[in-house]
Amino acid sequence: MINRHPESDLMVEYATGSLPLAHTIAVTTHLQFCEECRNTTESLKDIGGDLLQSGESIEVSDGLLDRIFDCIESGKDEISAPLKKLCSDKVANDLPGYVSNLLPEGNLDWRKLTSSLRVAPVSVGEQDYELSLHRINPGGKAPKHYHRGREITVVLKGSFSDEDGVYQPGDFIVREPGDTHRPFATRNEECICLSVLEAPIRLTGLKSVLNPFLSFSPS
Amino acid sequence: MMRSNGTVGRCLVNEGTNWNTMIERIGQNQDREAFSALFAHFSPFLKAFLIKSGGVTPENAEELVQETMIKVWRKAPTFSASQASASTWIYTIARNTRIDWLRKQNRQNPDELHAEDVYDEREDPTPYSSLVQIRNKKHINEQLGKLPDEQAEVLKLMYFQGKSGQQVADTLGLPLGTVKSRIRLALNKMKLGLMPAYKEGITQGGSYT
Ligand SMILES: [Zn+2]
Repeated sequence: MINRHPESDLMVEYATGSLPLAHTIAVTTHLQFCEECRNTTESLKDIGGDLLQSGESIEVSDGLLDRIFDCIESGKDEISAPLKKLCSDKVANDLPGYVSNLLPEGNLDWRKLTSSLRVAPVSVGEQDYELSLHRINPGGKAPKHYHRGREITVVLKGSFSDEDGVYQPGDFIVREPGDTHRPFATRNEECICLSVLEAPIRLTGLKSVLNPFLSFSPS
Repeated sequence: MMRSNGTVGRCLVNEGTNWNTMIERIGQNQDREAFSALFAHFSPFLKAFLIKSGGVTPENAEELVQETMIKVWRKAPTFSASQASASTWIYTIARNTRIDWLRKQNRQNPDELHAEDVYDEREDPTPYSSLVQIRNKKHINEQLGKLPDEQAEVLKLMYFQGKSGQQVADTLGLPLGTVKSRIRLALNKMKLGLMPAYKEGITQGGSYT
């Protein structure tokens, strides 16, 4: 049962394309689990289609249609879907197809943050945001930390809880800057999450040198 | 039903059904007449939309219109009127083309990921097989016109100018919370807030304040 969904403004930003790529990925991941939000997304695109035709129009140049037909005939700009090598990390089998397709080929670069928490970065070519997978062992606790930037988490498998509640697969959780929390996984199953971080988090009680999200830069 | 080439460019918004048929004709028969009609109707809207949406100059706009319309031709065989109407489908292709183009300008790994991968809109005929088409386009169309000005204004800034909620707040000189609640009210009014959480205005995401 999914209890947490992206807020309506985020959904509109998603539909209109103003979200950064990493956030867009987080919302699409939620949509893999949530039919209600999928329907909302389709309707929000309908609005785009309506507004498109009710907005201004500007004449295009005379030769444009001919140029398009030339391109079509020459086969230029043909859409060729490059054959993507699949991620061979075992974790990929446990994730929605959409998420495993985004993962790099080969094995993920898992880094141990604590005895029960591991993180693997997923590169999407953006500098301002960090997209990553988190794994918490069954019953494991993540270190208490606070957020300097906004963090979005989507539960992919298993469940975790914190002071505010229990989160199930598909749940879309937003942490605002300044939030402090201490997530822990359900006892009987490991928990895998996708997360987007706007600015590095800082672990409370640990030296910032240990801040895992600063270690993403090549070292 | 079919109009002649000459008048088709003047087709009005609520005659969207015709455009569905046109795209199907393109997809099934590589019908150039249908494509020309579609082009005549949509490309001026696309050009204006792309220029207003920010980051695209008038000089680049036609390049993007061209790219969008080529994709329309190539993807037409996968178009399904039961999944999306013509205008929704074209809007989505234009949006994705713009996103990819902007990313290319910023040199952010343009070849790695495309918008349609990120949105999960590859040409898979049934990406969401369980999707139940409960939405009613006509209904949305009507509701959009009935929105209070202040709500419509926010949506238009987001759709036409590609602004985020925060950018809308900055533009209008309003607190972000006000913009968020206008969006929520607009979506509720259009019955897009399917979830109780939207309806009651309860914030989501745990500690979201
Ligand atoms: Zn949802």
